[in-house]
Amino acid sequence: MSWMKKRDIYLVIGMLLFAGALYGGYRLYVANLPAKAEIYYESKLIKTVLLDTGKEETFKVEESDHVTFHLYADGSIAFEHSDCPDQICVKSGKLHLVGQSAACLPNKLIIKIVPNNKNSKDDVDMIG
Amino acid sequence: MKNEDSKTKHMVLTAMLFATAIVLSIVESMIPMPISIPGVKFGLSNIVVMYAMFFLNKRDALMIAILKGVFAALTRGAVAGLLSLTGGVFSIVVMVVLMFILKEKGSYFLYSMSGALFHNIGQFVAISIIYTNMVWLYYLPILLVTGIIAGMITSVLLRFLLPALQKI
Repeated sequence: MSWMKKRDIYLVIGMLLFAGALYGGYRLYVANLPAKAEIYYESKLIKTVLLDTGKEETFKVEESDHVTFHLYADGSIAFEHSDCPDQICVKSGKLHLVGQSAACLPNKLIIKIVPNNKNSKDDVDMIG
Repeated sequence: MKNEDSKTKHMVLTAMLFATAIVLSIVESMIPMPISIPGVKFGLSNIVVMYAMFFLNKRDALMIAILKGVFAALTRGAVAGLLSLTGGVFSIVVMVVLMFILKEKGSYFLYSMSGALFHNIGQFVAISIIYTNMVWLYYLPILLVTGIIAGMITSVLLRFLLPALQKI
């Protein structure tokens, strides 16, 4: 069996083009929709944060004292601090595009950026 | 593996490979990642699974993947264990199917890449189920590109490690 074949290179190029097309579609049609952030604890929606308020603030959620969130004036949100060992959530950085998400698995928290045009009557809490 | 004491040798080798897989996943967790996206990893420990796939047998590879999942569950919690397990099982199933179809027409790179890609996709499927409504349009391109890169790394490493490993 060979290490690599010419066919593999074509396959890789094809996959890269496909990935590029998908990403282009995403950037054009999805990424810049008006957004809000949803915070989940144990897979349950516990908080919704509007991102376009221009406010800068740091907050926690009732369900977990281990994690601090930060809402930036530029409309992005991040895990600012967490006591988890891997710090993957903090390293995920600032999120602002629809579709982005960051998770703190040890603390069972996740942030998801979703389009803001959905009916929001079941939202638990609103900021801003 | 064809001599008389092959059974013992086999067991020891599987155990050793599993230990190597654990060490590699610890090493990997120390490498800072430019992006951190659920399901995206280099999959260094996949090298071990790959080696087992190619040079031991598919049952051993699956065994190592399952043990990895159990180890992750014990040390990092149920969610991490589930992710590790889905990733490992996904990648092995895809590689086995591909090997069955292509046989010698395949290449190490092709199998490594498919394994890495479906490891990530498997983990992402599990994350999507746990966290509902992940935006696939955003993640799929990233999973594809990182799968290709991880596959390249795995197959290159395998290529260099193979002469040493064959002496075992």
